[in-house]
Amino acid sequence: MLTVLSNYLDSVRENLRLDRSLESEVIHELETHIEDELQELREAGLSEEEAANNCLKLLGSAKVVARQIYEAHSQGSWSQALLAAMPHILFGLLFALNWWRGIGWLLGMLVLVLSMAVYGWWRGKPTWLFPWLGYSLLPVVAAGLLLLYLPEGWSWVAILFYIPLALWLLYSITVKTIKRDWLYTSLMLLPVPTIIGWFLAVEPVNKLPEHWLQRIQDFAPWMGLTFLALALTVATFIRVRKRWLRVSVLVVSGLITLIMVAYYTNGKLSLPAFLILIVVMLLLLLSPALVERTLRHTGQQSAA
Amino acid sequence: MAQRRELIKGSIDSLLLCLIDQQPIYGYRIIKELERRSQGYFKFKEGTLYPALHRLEKAGLIRGEWQTLPSGRQRRYYHITEKGLRSLVTERSQWRDFLAAMNLIIQPEST
Repeated sequence: MLTVLSNYLDSVRENLRLDRSLESEVIHELETHIEDELQELREAGLSEEEAANNCLKLLGSAKVVARQIYEAHSQGSWSQALLAAMPHILFGLLFALNWWRGIGWLLGMLVLVLSMAVYGWWRGKPTWLFPWLGYSLLPVVAAGLLLLYLPEGWSWVAILFYIPLALWLLYSITVKTIKRDWLYTSLMLLPVPTIIGWFLAVEPVNKLPEHWLQRIQDFAPWMGLTFLALALTVATFIRVRKRWLRVSVLVVSGLITLIMVAYYTNGKLSLPAFLILIVVMLLLLLSPALVERTLRHTGQQSAA
Repeated sequence: MAQRRELIKGSIDSLLLCLIDQQPIYGYRIIKELERRSQGYFKFKEGTLYPALHRLEKAGLIRGEWQTLPSGRQRRYYHITEKGLRSLVTERSQWRDFLAAMNLIIQPEST
């Protein structure tokens, strides 16, 4: 196939952002269409180059075709929406119903979240996986933070071994998710600003653990509410078809949950901290798009 | 021209279901058939046919199946489903009512 037509198919592929099997099926179908079209144009007396240029004109913009095919497939079912929202619902209930104090509930949640993340990853990374994946990385981060509180000497073990390993794991999962679709990375990172907001409001520095527990106890119903708001966001994300709407849903929800954190903590979250959190939220939700662009650019350069 | 494009856009699903109902057919053939039967009226960017086909397939109205031709080339043939047939019956009846009503206004009987 001529380079212009291969480039056309590459451009469709780049903008499709569907799972691999569906993507190759779409590309193969367009390929067969192009072959038929080229044959007919050649039989009509056009040269190879003229036929290819005419074919491109008849096909229309690769980006538009890819976007429309994406929109045909992007909407998830209600059951997928519920499954994707489930980790946020469970996390919300953990606080709203005070289950967070029971080690059994915490262990149960941990096992469930890890199992769902591994199962979804193994099943070809369906859309519902990414919120579970986000929560499955929380224990990795939490363990790293706890290791830093170990007696002197031991925290070096964390710095030298655990933290590089954890960072490598986080990096490799994030890059793989971005390669699938950067929006899924944003979906995965969605609860991070809210969690940081609550963490700052609880003020776990220079105070006794009893103080933190009391703070968590005080904020627990509101923490639950913010996670339930995230669950609603994820369900909406799965149900809408258009990408710009999906981005808007994530950003608006990030903003609303941070406002909820600031409101319910009665000033425990200072204005500068709140504003920094908004910037962090925007960076977390939108920077994957830039990373995706960089990865593609690097990939194209190395392929050339 | 833009008006015609909008009219085609609004009726593409019905057109596709009608064609696929008559015989299993693949994308390229659909474009040629639409153009031939409408004497060149239904002409659109070919790439935009596939989003419409995929949308109908996702809705369960049609089903795509790869077939290998004796020449070794592959084509994705679309078949209408039971749900698609039911939807087509409804759409045909709606179109008839719509056209009848339009004709009453556009070509009123001379009194």
